[in-house]
Amino acid sequence: MKAHGSIIPDRVVEVLRGPAVMVVGTRDAGLRPAHVCAVGAVVDDDRRTVTFFVPESRSARLLSDLQNNGRVAFSFGLASHEAYQLKGTYLSSRPTTGEDVALQDAYRTKLFAAARKAYPEDIARPYALGVAYQPGVAVTFRVEEIFLQTPGPDAGTKIA
Amino acid sequence: MATLPEEIKAAMQGVIPSHVVTCARDGTPNATAISQVYYVDPEHVALSHQFFNKTVRNVRENPRALVWVMSPQTFDTWDLEVEFDHAETSGPIFDVLDMQIEAIASIVGLKGIFKLRSADIYRVISATKNVSERIPLRDIVEPRGGR
Amino acid sequence: MDAEGHKAVTDERPDAQPLRTQIVQNQQTIDRLNRDLARVSNEVRVIQQISREITSTLDLDEVLTIVLQAMERVLGFEHSMILLKERAADRLRLAASRGYEPSGVGVEVAFGEGVIGVVARRRKMIRVGNIGASVAYLRGIRARLEAAGQLPSGGDATTLPGLPAAQSQLALPLLVKDRLVGVLVVESPRPSAFDELDEVLLGIVGNQAATAIDNARTYQMLESLSRLKRFFSPQLAEAIVTGGADDPLKTHRREVTVVFLDLHGFTAFAETAAPEDVMGVLREYHEQMGKLILAHEGTLERFTGDGMMIFFNDPVPVDDAAERAVRMAVAMRDRVTALSSQWRKRGYELGVGIGIAQGYATIGAIGFEGRWDYGAIGTVTNLAARLCSEARAGQILLSARVASGVEALVETDEVGALALKGFARAVPAFRLVRLKPAT
Repeated sequence: MKAHGSIIPDRVVEVLRGPAVMVVGTRDAGLRPAHVCAVGAVVDDDRRTVTFFVPESRSARLLSDLQNNGRVAFSFGLASHEAYQLKGTYLSSRPTTGEDVALQDAYRTKLFAAARKAYPEDIARPYALGVAYQPGVAVTFRVEEIFLQTPGPDAGTKIA
Repeated sequence: MATLPEEIKAAMQGVIPSHVVTCARDGTPNATAISQVYYVDPEHVALSHQFFNKTVRNVRENPRALVWVMSPQTFDTWDLEVEFDHAETSGPIFDVLDMQIEAIASIVGLKGIFKLRSADIYRVISATKNVSERIPLRDIVEPRGGR
Repeated sequence: MDAEGHKAVTDERPDAQPLRTQIVQNQQTIDRLNRDLARVSNEVRVIQQISREITSTLDLDEVLTIVLQAMERVLGFEHSMILLKERAADRLRLAASRGYEPSGVGVEVAFGEGVIGVVARRRKMIRVGNIGASVAYLRGIRARLEAAGQLPSGGDATTLPGLPAAQSQLALPLLVKDRLVGVLVVESPRPSAFDELDEVLLGIVGNQAATAIDNARTYQMLESLSRLKRFFSPQLAEAIVTGGADDPLKTHRREVTVVFLDLHGFTAFAETAAPEDVMGVLREYHEQMGKLILAHEGTLERFTGDGMMIFFNDPVPVDDAAERAVRMAVAMRDRVTALSSQWRKRGYELGVGIGIAQGYATIGAIGFEGRWDYGAIGTVTNLAARLCSEARAGQILLSARVASGVEALVETDEVGALALKGFARAVPAFRLVRLKPAT
């Protein structure tokens, strides 16, 4: 039986651990798009699935879409503009645990440090640390396609 | 159609990157960050692109898009449901966007190389300010530890 | 209670509640408009004051200072600058600034370079609030294009004036009718520091400034022009002032063709004739000679009584200096011949003698503070003067150099080598007989 999904390359795993801005896209039954920001994410041990975290207050539409059709797009990029987009199928969701929150805090710290380089303090702080991320929902999906999203001549290239 | 409030203009200055989600006809969503969404008038926004990308392809098959913006002054965010109306390759809106790109391109030595392909004009279907998702500024603490 | 926290008023009318909400919303809109209006009214008052100050002076530096002070006072902008368009090139030069250390005055920006250069080229206002992010984004793309071999490697464009870390800029073209006079710029280290109202107000001040700057510059030019017109034809004077020719008063050496002429018999005539008659003859003579000098675009360096010195190839270089000199001399001789037949009827014997020579001269401002004149000095001027003295009434004498240069144009006679004062060896000279008929 052929294994489902793509193996996520090392570099993508690394960027996902870094202070990347994370964008989640879904759509409803009528193909109308929806958006939510993820606050942290992690590549699961199998290297084929990714779990991202969203605030519970922003999860209603997301979960409704995922339950309807399971399609998800997950884009993330560094301040250097190196960026990737993962596309795949929803697997499961659950409330965030203490371990997840620790991961999220590590992510927020890195994001704040990066934001301070790009913005004055009075923007960096609320921007990076101002999202109410608890209580949170952890959403897991199987990665089926990986695209390079870094702006430039190769943007849109499928890499896995 | 909805009207964009005055206060959203601050969120459309390209200070904090915006996000756009679109969906292909086959049902696959596409998510991306973009540098700036442009305020055209209370009922329209514009997106610029230099390369023909997936977002552009998607809205030409399925015109609905979700645009997310954040104000660098209040840190409020908005979800804008928009619908692709038409692309402009000339005219006043195109000129404003084109001029900005020309100016910045000349600073980094890309004069004549990096050009605006078209200004895509979208109608605003709804504009929802996202509430109750911010930690008040005075309550923000930097996380301790962190790995 | 409704959303605004107001106690609902019981009312039979079914549309009372939405109506109340509407009234409250309208009031909020009116409050906001009033605040904006107060800001605008205050600023309009100050702008009116400024426009009075701007239009009250024709001094360019004063105008620039007033405008930049206004940038700070009216709009609260700490960093502002004015660049003026060079007269004959698509370039701007920073003329005045406020809030910069160093001032940057003198820095040049080509059309199309950076925000300022693009505003000049496209003649449209621009407002950007995210320069850092935009530049970083495009720099990244540039690097990737280079890495992909799609671009020759190179650095950024040349350094531009302004804050090194400006995040916001508002720049507008200063236009008078269709002409670009310059560019007015305000900057801030904060992102999205300027809004639409700032655009409008800056636009108003900019219009005033454009006209005032243009007037001041025109005034400056006219002052220079009237000074220069003493020496040069109007076309030449204009060319110098508008930047089409080099500054003639700066000392330089150039090869010129010099024409010296004077009225033979004039001294005797002046001693015996009535003063009015002398002035009358001089006036006629000057008028006629003057017309010919203008027509041939020569430079009148001096005239003393009946003598005149004209040269060609400075301040504006020409290909055919010798030919022009010779044609002018022939025309002058013919004109004076006509005049002298009239003068003869009144009993005066007057004729013009002309000498033409070619060579290097030192040209520039001669004199002292308060009394500068434009002049030429060299062997060539002495030679032309001596040849003029040697020439009899109605004669045009050419140096060997000139004669060989215009061989195709004129018929000449050898006069032989002349012993001229100030010249160690005898100088070969040629008499101009006539212009060769055109073939």
